[in-house]
Amino acid sequence: MNTFYAVLVSGLTVGALYAIASIGLSLVWGALGVLNMAHGAMLTLGGYVAYGVITGLGLPVPLGIFASVAFGALAGGLIYVLIVRNVLRQAKADFEANVMIATVGAAIALENGILLVFGGQPLRQPVTVSGSFELGPLIVPWQNFIIMVAAVLAMAVIASLLNYTRMGRAIRATAQNRDAARLMGVAADRVYLIVLMLSGAVAGICGLLLSAMVQLSPSLGNDPMLKAFIMCVVAGLGSLPGAVLVSFGLALLEAWVQYQFGARWGFPLLLCAVVVVLIWRPSGLLGKTEVRRM
Amino acid sequence: MKRRQLLTGLGAGGLGAAALSALNAGAAHAQTGDPIPIGAALPMSGPSAGDGIEFKNGLDLAAAEINAAGGILGRPVEIHIEDTREMGADLVGQAMQRLIDRYNTPAIVNGYNLGANMVELDVAADNDVIVLHNNTQIAHQERVKSDPERYYGGFQTDPAEYWYGPGCLNFLNELVDAGQWKPANRKIAIVASAVEYSIVIGNAIRDKAAEFGWEVSVYETVPFPTNQWGPVLAKLREDPPAAILVTHFLAQDLAQFMTQFLTQPTPSLIYMQYGPSLPVFREIGGEAINGVIYSTVIGGLPDAFAAKYREDYRANFGDTASWLTGSQTYDALWMYATAAAVAGGPGEPFNGEQARKVAGVLKGMVHRGMSGSFRFDPEGLVAYSYPTETKDPSLGLPHQFLQHQDYRTDPKLIGPQLYADSQFMLPPWLS
Repeated sequence: MNTFYAVLVSGLTVGALYAIASIGLSLVWGALGVLNMAHGAMLTLGGYVAYGVITGLGLPVPLGIFASVAFGALAGGLIYVLIVRNVLRQAKADFEANVMIATVGAAIALENGILLVFGGQPLRQPVTVSGSFELGPLIVPWQNFIIMVAAVLAMAVIASLLNYTRMGRAIRATAQNRDAARLMGVAADRVYLIVLMLSGAVAGICGLLLSAMVQLSPSLGNDPMLKAFIMCVVAGLGSLPGAVLVSFGLALLEAWVQYQFGARWGFPLLLCAVVVVLIWRPSGLLGKTEVRRM
Repeated sequence: MKRRQLLTGLGAGGLGAAALSALNAGAAHAQTGDPIPIGAALPMSGPSAGDGIEFKNGLDLAAAEINAAGGILGRPVEIHIEDTREMGADLVGQAMQRLIDRYNTPAIVNGYNLGANMVELDVAADNDVIVLHNNTQIAHQERVKSDPERYYGGFQTDPAEYWYGPGCLNFLNELVDAGQWKPANRKIAIVASAVEYSIVIGNAIRDKAAEFGWEVSVYETVPFPTNQWGPVLAKLREDPPAAILVTHFLAQDLAQFMTQFLTQPTPSLIYMQYGPSLPVFREIGGEAINGVIYSTVIGGLPDAFAAKYREDYRANFGDTASWLTGSQTYDALWMYATAAAVAGGPGEPFNGEQARKVAGVLKGMVHRGMSGSFRFDPEGLVAYSYPTETKDPSLGLPHQFLQHQDYRTDPKLIGPQLYADSQFMLPPWLS
């Protein structure tokens, strides 16, 4: 029975990380209809900013946490100013493809910038909590618990923003139909800026949590970016609740497969899930089918 | 001192700065003073960056010392580095070829590169350059033996990974025989990662386990790299073995293993290999790494012979720099410089005649470096391992067993007996 709980805790922790990484990606996809390929690098940035502020500058931990969120949002804003806004201005350009390619470039530049500033050596994230607590038969490391709580909080904040604020309504309206939203007076450009900054802030906190669980390295965000993409595809691109549900579901399944059949089968399982879902439900488990008329 | 005299004396001992200075002083020809470009294809970013940085440090230190001794026959050496990032045959092969094409390097001194499939040997053969690397793979000797004429210039300056297997089992039995450790049972668990190097070691342990009186209860292969150990640990906790032998080697992942293991430790000895020699293992793992045993078939020794090297290394690269790791390329460059000087010069790419002369000297020489004694198996061109492969410590690199007894200080060398400077201590979770 203890084994069951150990696998459960492992699955929930990884699920929380997958979920928080997927939210940012899904948010941008939902609102802009594009894949932000720099999401992983923004996540890495969040981890390194906290490290730089706390270890490098010797400032207090809360300031490091705030800085990782602020710099993530700033990076999102820069992506809007430097890439999205310029691509939007070009009437004949293929918006989705151009933004995707440009953000690949931004990701490479950001990753190499981090490499130049901090070096390639793995570093220890100072925001870590050691020890564990017992909850009945469960032994939960504090670090895992904090990651799960932070992920749930981040999800709640994003959901509240989207559902109960004017800004959230504007985002949802733009996501449904950009042109119609514009005609109704929604400043779509500003919505894009806000969405990218929000996504960047979430990436920043995700990078901080992830690096506290593993360690800092310039390629920190690559794996979560890939996993988040898998979650978003399985859930249905742009579906926020779907991304969260699928993240936890697949992470638990992955943990169980790793335990039952061997750790090496975890990732192939995720890839199989994508293939099966794309065949069975091309728009994802919770995605809406897009109808295009000729 | 004449070159011939030195060549005759090679079998009796290593050549160092004094010998190189003597060769330089006696060289009657050619001293143009032009730098000799030496290449290094190192993982400066990606998962093995921690090692790559130390490899660069080792090269820089050796180059400075060689140049202070007059270079190679009066010509200073100049290090050029290409990043192999995530490694693999494509990246390593391209990086090496760029070094040759851009800088005309007659030799390339790498640390290790993973998944390169011994492409190093083909690049060296195609361009008639010398390559020295620490891939620690049995595949090196197999490739060289398959075509010795073609692969004459490829040297692996450490023993094959295979020797980790019997070496580790032998060490466990020595602990038991000496009464230093009383295992709860005769079970061992092997945790390998999905790279050839790690799997070969895991298989060597598995295949030899019964011979040494051990039963393999779990053999788990994890992805490379990996940092979520939950499901693996759950399996290990179900049937706790006497020893958990982790053959995955990335320092940061191993530190995570310890952090996650200690939330619910089992009464098992933890043995790892290589990764814990890096400072990042201590930095990330902190107190959780106390008690971990690890081994390496190559690494700087904490002996008197290497004292100045250790001092200089830390003075140049900081107190947390790993002289254990940097010694690999440090020794390799010294070996090459000495061999090139004895052979009459390094030559240049596509000068097969001169490259063969350098290779010939390397093949016959014995070099006492910071990691111990280097001597190459003349057929496979791989350094010998002491004590499992050769019983003569003057002709093989010691397979070192170390233990982290206090994460704030250097690990302690607890084996082999001839080199050990400390005693094994029961890990905190067992005592």
